[in-house]
Amino acid sequence: MILVVAEQREGRLNRATWEAIAAAQALSAEGVPVQVVVLGGTVATTAQEIAAAGVGDVIAVEHVSLATYTPDAFTTAMRQVVDKIAPTFVLLPHTYQTRDFAPMLAARMRKSLVTDVTGINGNGAAATFIRPMFQGKLAAEVRPQGEPPFLVSVQIGAYRADAVRKGNAAAVTSMSVVIDASAIRQQPDAPFQEARQAVDLSQADRIVSVGRGIKSQDNIAIAKNLATAMGAEIAASRPICDNGWLPMERQIGSSGQTVAPKLYVALGISGAIQHLVGMKGSRTIVAINKDADAPIFEVADYGIVGDLFEVVPAIVNELEKG
Amino acid sequence: MEVDVLIVGGGPAGLSAALRLAQLQTAQGGEPLSIAVLEKAREAGAHSLSGAVLDPSALRELIPDFRERGAPIAADVHADHVYFLTEHAKFEFPIIPPPLRNHGNHIISLNQFVRWLAEQVEAHGIDFFSGFAAQDVLMEGTRILGVRTGDRGISRHGEQKPTFEPGVDITAKITIFCDGVRGNLTKELLRRLPLGADRAPQQFAVGLKELWDIPPGRVAAGTVIHTLGYPLAEEQFGGAFIYAMSDRHLSLGFVVGLDYSDPQFDPHMAFNRFKQHPFIAALLGDGQMVRYGAKALPEGGWNTIPRTYMDGGLIAGDAGGFLNSMRLKGIHLAMRTGMLAAEAAFDAIRANDTSAASLKRYQDKIDASPVRSELYPVRNVHQAFGHGLWAGLAFSGVSLLTGGWWPVELQGEAGHTRMHRLPPGRGSGAVNEPASNATSVDRRLTFDKLTNVHYSGTAHEEDQPSHLLVHTEVCSTICGPEYGHPCVRFCPANVYEIMREADGTPRLQINASNCVHCKTCDIMDPYAVITWVPPEGGGPQYNGM
Repeated sequence: MILVVAEQREGRLNRATWEAIAAAQALSAEGVPVQVVVLGGTVATTAQEIAAAGVGDVIAVEHVSLATYTPDAFTTAMRQVVDKIAPTFVLLPHTYQTRDFAPMLAARMRKSLVTDVTGINGNGAAATFIRPMFQGKLAAEVRPQGEPPFLVSVQIGAYRADAVRKGNAAAVTSMSVVIDASAIRQQPDAPFQEARQAVDLSQADRIVSVGRGIKSQDNIAIAKNLATAMGAEIAASRPICDNGWLPMERQIGSSGQTVAPKLYVALGISGAIQHLVGMKGSRTIVAINKDADAPIFEVADYGIVGDLFEVVPAIVNELEKG
Repeated sequence: MEVDVLIVGGGPAGLSAALRLAQLQTAQGGEPLSIAVLEKAREAGAHSLSGAVLDPSALRELIPDFRERGAPIAADVHADHVYFLTEHAKFEFPIIPPPLRNHGNHIISLNQFVRWLAEQVEAHGIDFFSGFAAQDVLMEGTRILGVRTGDRGISRHGEQKPTFEPGVDITAKITIFCDGVRGNLTKELLRRLPLGADRAPQQFAVGLKELWDIPPGRVAAGTVIHTLGYPLAEEQFGGAFIYAMSDRHLSLGFVVGLDYSDPQFDPHMAFNRFKQHPFIAALLGDGQMVRYGAKALPEGGWNTIPRTYMDGGLIAGDAGGFLNSMRLKGIHLAMRTGMLAAEAAFDAIRANDTSAASLKRYQDKIDASPVRSELYPVRNVHQAFGHGLWAGLAFSGVSLLTGGWWPVELQGEAGHTRMHRLPPGRGSGAVNEPASNATSVDRRLTFDKLTNVHYSGTAHEEDQPSHLLVHTEVCSTICGPEYGHPCVRFCPANVYEIMREADGTPRLQINASNCVHCKTCDIMDPYAVITWVPPEGGGPQYNGM
């Protein structure tokens, strides 16, 4: 049995949950069921949303101490869930929240944790997991040691949410957990304003990203027009954010966010390796650059060698016609 | 926090000092000393970069059973070669100059070696605080009280972020400064006390290094190769090293004296040109670069070493300039001076007198040790290279015959003062003007700095103030016409870039998060207006370097 841990906040399911489910389906051998657990204060809607997709039985775990995330409460609750269900694998999306509590959960249970997994070879007990090392320079193939359950977190974008095999609507069962509120050592404040405003580019389907070739802050508007016409998020390579032309939270690359949208349009980005590591997992990469030797073309699926100030308005025109 | 002995810097010197203190404690008993080591890297060894060929003399004394304890030695040296390179050819020196004979030495990764040394230290229960950089020296008059660590959680605009944590004061009876080449605290001590008043100015070089995986069968493990000549001009100090850690793993580096005169010269391009030499290109062909790094090294020798003892303070290792530039070795001297500093500190604390007069015993120990017998005879050699390669080589030869005797002490000068101004009208042309020694970059054999930086594993929190302080803004005014913005070229990590304002005025952009902590800018800037201070965490990740 494979247990997937869904992530939700205030009733909104994190898209990465579907990616973890897709990974679970890749991992599950013939006939091995997948179950999904969702934790929170009230999780009826998210549990129904997952159940409707028919990927497996859904376990709703509701507790007043889970309404606001704390690593102590989630670890306590997850430990009880895992003990009761006794899965072979516990799959989690490699989100900030998972990074926060999964190591503690694994340590409490004295079980192996394989983090940031980008691929799975084989299935069932014989499965091995691929995970990056040295900032993605190397990929290691690892097999968790010891007794199951094994905990595995799945890198954002490594599996496709739309590749989840759906079936007939499944059942939601609720499970109760015991959490001693006085044993929770963290008292979270309200989320910072920064965090509330921060864009999570990893959730975007389409991204238009600008680099030094945009030349001036005024020209950012050209890229924003394209983003609006495409329904895309705007992002940038490092120099743009360094100049303050776009906020730092929109920076893609080794010192910014790592993204894997369906479509990534790189405008005037030369493709320094620091940028490439943050976006090379994108499904389709389109690069527009004046310099035909720019390294961005080595990873691009479609390349346009040309002046972005001519090309981009032309694309916007066509899109607006449609 | 209060300790008996505070060691600033967890490199070979600092860790050897810590280990020696623990050993003295065990051997002599008495009231146990509290010892702490501060290290700016998040893990021991992450910022340690060297060739490296280790002379095991100090290690053998510190840890006699180092092999049994699993010291990470890549290979024992079994062959030395020295070549003089011209643009297309190489000429092997028929005899290996004695200082470059490495029989009995070991090829190591300094990163792994330091990590192992830290394990030995921690096994003695010594507190090793990694990820903490000392920002300021705490002083009262001429007495060292300890250090203050840097604040954390300051935004790039200088405001406190929600994660703000103020720095911590750590006081100690004795502080041993092992903050490495051009250490930020030692630099401060030199200025305030002044410890270098009657000494010759320190002279530096910068070393750039790559690790390569190559197809087997080209060079045997344990081979040590040094080259002189191409691509450097006769008047430039420097050369290259190639150490075969195994028959598939090469440590390859290029050292350039930070006293070159052409402001448009770029040490990183010299390294690229070196790799394009047919001899080197053949060695590396079909191989893969897997790691990159850069670090300055103190080359000046004995006459440039400052006073290393003060009230409540000692200086050891590269911070003090303990490096033998003729043998291209400093790790054993760092270890040895760390050990001697530990012995001096231990005795001074037991004698309940940590004044400079009491700590002078450190200098006496150095004078009676192999440190002096190794460095004193070659004290003028590096300065002789200031007159060019042939003068330097000739002087080294004479030095060997006379045991270092020479009628006068040769005077060196701080390297940045040797940089020539550009002829009128030549500077400030294009943005980020190419170097005078520019060569092609194919991203297979040769690399641009940005790609190389990626392979240094360097990462910093982006939202913090720049840790490279430019005290006087010269970029938009005099630097362009006078030197053509040499920072963009001497920095091996693309930290400095010159952008143009709409009206064409040059503006300096500091990509501080690229910094590999090599200190070149702090040393080589011709106006001496750049100061390197420790950032909030981060830095390179020199695994295997």
